[in-house]
Amino acid sequence: MGGSALATGLSGCGDGNRTRTISFHQSKPEAIPYFRDLLQDFNNQHSGQIRAVHDSSSNLSAGFVRGNPPDLGCLNYNYEIVRFQERGAFSDLSDLLDEANIDPSVEDLVDEYPTYPGRTSVIPYSMMAAAVLYNEEIFAEHNLEVPTTFSAFIEVCETLEDAGVAPLYSTYGDPWTVAQGLVDYSVGGAMDVAGFFEQLHELGPDAGPEAEVSFSRDMREPLEKMLQIAAFSQAGAASRNYGDGNLAFARGEAAMYFQGPWALTDIAVTNPDAPIGVFPLPMTEDPDDLRVRVNLDLALWIPEDSPHQEQSRDLLRFLIDPEVADPYNEQNLAFGVRADAPDVSDNRLQDLQAYVDRAAFYQGVSVSIPRTIPFENYAQGLVTGQSLEATLRTLDEDWARLARR
Amino acid sequence: MTTTVEPTTPPRADGRPGSAPVHRPRRVDRTHFVFLIPVVALFTLCITLPAVMGIFFSFTDSIGFGEFSFVGLNNYIVMFSDPAILSAYGFTIGVALSTVVLVNVAALGLAIGLTGRIRAKTALRTVFVMPMVVSGIIIAFVFQFIFSNTVPAAARAIGIGALEESILADPSLAWISIVLVTAWQATPQAMLIYIAALMTVPQDVYEASAIDGASPWKQLRSITLPLISGFVLINVIIGFKDFLATYEIIVGLTDGGPGTATRSVAMAIFSGFEEGDYAYQMANSTIFFLITLAIALIQLRLTRGNARF
Repeated sequence: MGGSALATGLSGCGDGNRTRTISFHQSKPEAIPYFRDLLQDFNNQHSGQIRAVHDSSSNLSAGFVRGNPPDLGCLNYNYEIVRFQERGAFSDLSDLLDEANIDPSVEDLVDEYPTYPGRTSVIPYSMMAAAVLYNEEIFAEHNLEVPTTFSAFIEVCETLEDAGVAPLYSTYGDPWTVAQGLVDYSVGGAMDVAGFFEQLHELGPDAGPEAEVSFSRDMREPLEKMLQIAAFSQAGAASRNYGDGNLAFARGEAAMYFQGPWALTDIAVTNPDAPIGVFPLPMTEDPDDLRVRVNLDLALWIPEDSPHQEQSRDLLRFLIDPEVADPYNEQNLAFGVRADAPDVSDNRLQDLQAYVDRAAFYQGVSVSIPRTIPFENYAQGLVTGQSLEATLRTLDEDWARLARR
Repeated sequence: MTTTVEPTTPPRADGRPGSAPVHRPRRVDRTHFVFLIPVVALFTLCITLPAVMGIFFSFTDSIGFGEFSFVGLNNYIVMFSDPAILSAYGFTIGVALSTVVLVNVAALGLAIGLTGRIRAKTALRTVFVMPMVVSGIIIAFVFQFIFSNTVPAAARAIGIGALEESILADPSLAWISIVLVTAWQATPQAMLIYIAALMTVPQDVYEASAIDGASPWKQLRSITLPLISGFVLINVIIGFKDFLATYEIIVGLTDGGPGTATRSVAMAIFSGFEEGDYAYQMANSTIFFLITLAIALIQLRLTRGNARF
């Protein structure tokens, strides 16, 4: 908790020399050692001027409330961060755009969220692409091809089921896994998620189950298909959690697993040679419709309240340097966000590169809804037997209620 | 939480009007006030001030920092038509009531057993008090494992079909797991109060009733229960107030799921901090505060006099 407070406190002391201490907030657990080393390099380069401190545990909301947020943030970009950005809490970084050279299709992802007018509040840093993970050995054993249409996908599931293999491993015990996997892939593969939310935002308080654009109207069909897919999950999915899923999939207990590349590291712990491939979930009968789910895994921002704007920019520039950014993405199974970023090197993820290159991707519906609506819980409810119609209606009403206040 | 338990005064046997010594208002030594300062200062700083600020923000559209504007009673109006919040209240009150009943029945039973003439009384008391000292979140995670793995596996082994699916995964049954685990943790405290209560019942009334031929069941109903009714009241009210705020056990067991079946009021309020809905959930917590305050006032009122059912 005290990380950022300590950092700002230190910078205030000024023990004679002009070293400024800035706090760098990054809380991705698996990346903490990596960034610790990076900061060490940076500090060596700027010794006597800037000292960056790694803050991985302080509470962001509390930092902003107290007026001492971190000097540079590097976090997953979603509604948790958007709420700060939306109210103008971040400095304008538009002068760094040339240097950052962000791919326009990635820049668009930022703009799918509400923005603060006239400012470039965040600079994307790293993007993750997720799709269906599958066990290549099991597919080969049953002479199965990677499906590119919805009907072919269902056939694959039926073949596996007839052979006594669980087609799909699901972990309903952790609501987020249902939302980011089954729900996001099904909806994102079937419809234009960003376009839907743009129209929904335009409706404002007029939104509701009866409006011309609504969850009830537009998401019903994709989610019906989602339930059709979910039915192929292994027995007892309702009480399995994320950790159980990684373990079981690593042991080859099911043919497919709807998780992102972040699960690969965990899977490799159990089985370093797990024969895993990736393909986008086909939701239509046209192979050209295939798309993958992406998220801005890391994005950089500097709070207005930071007293060290210049020093924070120095650190930001250091981080976006291709020589620093590219190795990060390579090591963390992520995709680069620069227009000239190198291709992903991990051979399991190479199949996704083509989709990323032609921007055949979407941000999940689960991250497009303000977090005050418990969407992940609704997603879990759907696969554990709640009525689809009632859930969609609740979503529409929640959305309208939120727009009214 | 510490609670002072004042044993109820037994009715005067001689029937004379109370002749308590008359207290003249004494000058209180200033030292007493000096000792009060730290507590009052801390309480004001850490409880009263934040509470007042929270109530203030419930009339705004603040997200916790930065600019905000006043929206009057809007948050309250929206709140009372928000099914998510209303169902959270329904769930929370239902769970609190069920837990209170279960805790008090279990605690009284254990207390009667542990004040009886049995061997290894102290050792047994220690065992039964253990759940009280383990942190709630740890208990919740251990039970989460038991409910989702151990119980279904055992049910499969002995062929009880109904229990093969974890009750945590059943929206209509998940609340039972929360009641059970909360009760498991809360029973010791209530039990300790009941043990103390049973010790206040004079032995001679039992002896007298035994001579008149009262059965143990009759003794329990007509002597023990009436004489410890004040303690029952305290346990019920304190328990209910505590269970309304159940949070970590739900987070560890179901995290509000499946779906939103086990989202409690405390969870909804907390989500306001993490999910940018600060002012709205402040309105919610103001209402929640008023409810708890009402219960506390009832408790104060009832325990001041001779509480009897």
